[in-house]
Amino acid sequence: MTCPCRAGMLIAFLLLALLCSTAGCSTGEQHQKTVLKVVPAGSLLQPFAEVEQEFEATHPQVDVQIEGHGSIQAIRQVTDLHRNVDVVAVADASLIPDLMFRTDQATGANFTDSYTPFARNAMVIAYTNRSRYADEISQDNWYGILTRRGVRTGFSNPMLDAAGYRTVMVALLASDYYRNATIFPALIGRRFTPPLVINATNGVQTVGLPETMRPSDPDLVIRDGSIYVISLLEAGGIDYAFEYRSVAEGHNLLWIDLPQEIDLSSPAYAAEYGRARVTLGFQRFSAIGKDRHGQPIVYAITIPNTAPNPDLAREFADLVIEKAKTGGKGWPAPLA
Amino acid sequence: MTFNADPVPVFCVLLAVACIFAGCTGTAPPRETDTIPADDFRGWNLTVNGTTRASYTFDEIRAFPTKAGNCYAVSTVGIKYGPYTCKGVLLTDLLEQSGGIAEGDQVWVSAPDGYLWVFDYDQTQGEGFITFNESLREIPSPPLQVLLMYEQDGKPLSYDDGGPVRLVIISEEEGIVTEGSAWVKWVDTIEVKRK
Repeated sequence: MTCPCRAGMLIAFLLLALLCSTAGCSTGEQHQKTVLKVVPAGSLLQPFAEVEQEFEATHPQVDVQIEGHGSIQAIRQVTDLHRNVDVVAVADASLIPDLMFRTDQATGANFTDSYTPFARNAMVIAYTNRSRYADEISQDNWYGILTRRGVRTGFSNPMLDAAGYRTVMVALLASDYYRNATIFPALIGRRFTPPLVINATNGVQTVGLPETMRPSDPDLVIRDGSIYVISLLEAGGIDYAFEYRSVAEGHNLLWIDLPQEIDLSSPAYAAEYGRARVTLGFQRFSAIGKDRHGQPIVYAITIPNTAPNPDLAREFADLVIEKAKTGGKGWPAPLA
Repeated sequence: MTFNADPVPVFCVLLAVACIFAGCTGTAPPRETDTIPADDFRGWNLTVNGTTRASYTFDEIRAFPTKAGNCYAVSTVGIKYGPYTCKGVLLTDLLEQSGGIAEGDQVWVSAPDGYLWVFDYDQTQGEGFITFNESLREIPSPPLQVLLMYEQDGKPLSYDDGGPVRLVIISEEEGIVTEGSAWVKWVDTIEVKRK
């Protein structure tokens, strides 16, 4: 026979064990895992979630932690904020040599010495089947639709998001491509007070943006990040959005492909893209200037020299590069 | 002497010890941040450059009339920070000491990490910000104010959270989320650019 006090003790300890297993033991498991900190551009969050799942399945002792930022801010996590980051991936490959091939005063070495381009993207016009004139829009008339009265268009803030200043470049290039000088002013320029001015010199068009990106026309909407623009599009708050093709696809949106001459997708048109330039309203980061010039959209990945887990980081980067070769829904296009 | 241990309590004690050694105490893992003590801001100064130029120590900033409210930010990719209760000095109170601000003026707020953000006149008055609910759905903006926060959730703002002073957007209402790009950490310079 079991004495009542022993039975009580047994129950108490079993409860304690249960409490441990539900409240604390999961934390204990985390303690044993190696954290791999990955900082990608926002437009890579969906495909990187897929890579994270696959990587963790083959590396059960690794906890991949993904933290999205704008591309410049992603690099700043390493260069200015000195955080322990294993992998950085950006939506503009040129940013890595510009901002990371520099000496880290703390170590005496460069922040990184190499990077790998792994994917491309293109700017598109995203919309839904509820967008006004959704049944009419095409590659030939999109700019006319977007400037119709009552049609609301959105893009992300060029101060914060590469997709934002790339949108301005697309509008500049469209004026040239369609031989219609009213396209840029009608899409963007005249929707600010005072209107944005294009400075054309030697075939290069440069537009200077204001310090605060607040259009005076309520039919043009600018938000800090693409996710808010897409959220508005999905909710019917806007009709069209300038987006990366992979992002439009990843969110199951409809989209219009733009001609390669203006969509920033093709190395064959790099010289043409370079004739569209944007000067941001202010220098948000002391490490990088205000001028952006058009170039093909190329994604790149790097492992900072201060990465706490360089071998795992290399494995993760290799998996990204390998998966990018075939792409998939929500992935930017393969390089080749 | 033979020690005949009763197996049930022994098992239970071993189980409890195993739990503790396996990490079952529930202690949160150490954060990567939390590296600089919150109160070590003796060398810090805030420069406010308007019609006149003023420089304030941390104690002098804390001597301004205090304002408290709710603040809650979201990053460009949807990472939420907060909600917090925020306490500090209103931007407009600071500007008033340096000649005030008029319509058409801008305020440039910067930090030693090289970050700069620009506010137009409306924004210094709490207008023109995009606001979301906690589900990140856009909602009409309630009354907002711009605050130089030095206390977060009743504690001095730590360096890693942007201390000694971080610019934040506050609301009387709870659950109002604002875009985090304006939340400048480690503010040390505020400049008024006249129209």
